[in-house]
Amino acid sequence: MSDSAFSFLGRTLRRRSFLRVAGATAASSALVLAGCSDDDDEVVAPTTPANTLIFANGTSGVLNYLYLLEQLQAAFYQKAVDAFPSDFTAEDKAAFIDLRDHEVIHRETLKYTLGVLSSAYDANLTTPLAFKFESFTLSTRTGAYTAARTLKEISVAAYNGAPKLLVVDNATGSHVTYLKLLTKMASVEARHAAFVRDQLQPNSFAAPDAVGAAGLDTVKTPVEVVALIAPYVPVTLDASFLPTT
Amino acid sequence: MNLFKIISELEKVDPEIMDRLTHRRSALTALGDISKKMALAAAPIAIGSAFNKAMGQNNLSTVPAVLNYALLLERLEYSFYDQALKAPTLTVPLTGAARTAIETIRAHEQAHVTLLTTALGSQADPAPNFDFGTTAFATYDSFLTFAQAFEDTGVRAYKGQAVTIKTAGNPNNVLQTALQIHSVEARHAAHIRYMRRGVTAGNQTTIMPWIVNAEANGAPAPVYGAGNPSATFPAEDNLAQGGITDLTTALGATYTAADVSAAFDEGLDSTTVTTIARSVVKF
Repeated sequence: MSDSAFSFLGRTLRRRSFLRVAGATAASSALVLAGCSDDDDEVVAPTTPANTLIFANGTSGVLNYLYLLEQLQAAFYQKAVDAFPSDFTAEDKAAFIDLRDHEVIHRETLKYTLGVLSSAYDANLTTPLAFKFESFTLSTRTGAYTAARTLKEISVAAYNGAPKLLVVDNATGSHVTYLKLLTKMASVEARHAAFVRDQLQPNSFAAPDAVGAAGLDTVKTPVEVVALIAPYVPVTLDASFLPTT
Repeated sequence: MNLFKIISELEKVDPEIMDRLTHRRSALTALGDISKKMALAAAPIAIGSAFNKAMGQNNLSTVPAVLNYALLLERLEYSFYDQALKAPTLTVPLTGAARTAIETIRAHEQAHVTLLTTALGSQADPAPNFDFGTTAFATYDSFLTFAQAFEDTGVRAYKGQAVTIKTAGNPNNVLQTALQIHSVEARHAAHIRYMRRGVTAGNQTTIMPWIVNAEANGAPAPVYGAGNPSATFPAEDNLAQGGITDLTTALGATYTAADVSAAFDEGLDSTTVTTIARSVVKF
């Protein structure tokens, strides 16, 4: 797919052609692609290495990015719930079940939203991504909450950084719908973060490593976030095409 | 509160504020890059500078009034925690880790107040007296009930203004900064709620760090009720999200209303927020 090979095509045709190729590849070699660009002025990935999940420029890419983050978290809590640490109290168990349920609902809501856009990155995958939690110690309460804290802080920072990346579409007002949805989940993620931090270390709900002296919470870009979650995801993540402002 | 309120109020005074802000890209960049490029101490100055530049050719006398209005709401929260920490009735129960937690939250509110007062400079209004009445600090649980109400209302207030900021010219740097405050409010709310589960507060273990249905847990019901218009600002027991009419059954699985409602927080309009505040505080 060199530029010269399809430079005679219009931008829209270029993208459709590209996605068709990408989709066909996905069926045979686990190649995945996250959505198409909402913005005709932006380019899509010039090449698509195997086993790489590329978040395309535009709103669908942003939503796929958060969808993956919710998939990761839901899978984490499901794994913990499937085999609770032996020293988990009844309260711990109930809390983790709540957290699992909230994340599954977030995941499914984003999946529905992406389905409407026909751009869920995993729509054509025969088997979902198998996330890797081997680096966590899920057999102990401390290990489980430490893992939860790690993922929650990433999530809070991601949700603080993502809404501004939604592409304004005044024709449909879609950005309003998505912004409302994301901010409704963002504060719940922050509630979760405060809770799991407190369980690990009392009163650390908003410790200086999370909330700075100016009273502002953490924020991270998609590129920063995918680097942090890379150890838990079985494919290479590329967020470099997502909007940055 | 804070930036959401500022933007909202600026718009009332100057409907074209968003255009002004958007065109002042350098000013907005200063706002958005606070965490990365600027010392934290300089943040209030940067924000004040952004607004002053944006309003440079307009009636400057209205700017302090708007900023002072936002400051009023932040001062309310700070004053609430400050009075609690000094209340003789709370000396015994509010000790140890509980006192430390409230001091942490007070420090955050103070930081937000500092953000606004520094932006206003010499034009900042003197702090008014806030009268929280006879019940707010009467008992440990009463104090925490009020705290829960203020924090959960704070989360709703910020969220309620997010769309306004995003749609009115897309000043994304302001949006990000505001969301960074929004999630801090949510952390506070979660911790306050967790404190209410403790022995000192009466083992109220039905209270979760997240909002289940529209349960008020003793706080004023409007804190968790619908705003105006209710279609835009539904109550906290809302089950319709992202264009899905009823999330409990619509996605191929069954989820409880408690889980669905807890998985999403709802925004609230500024009029309803103000009415709630006035219902429990005299100022």
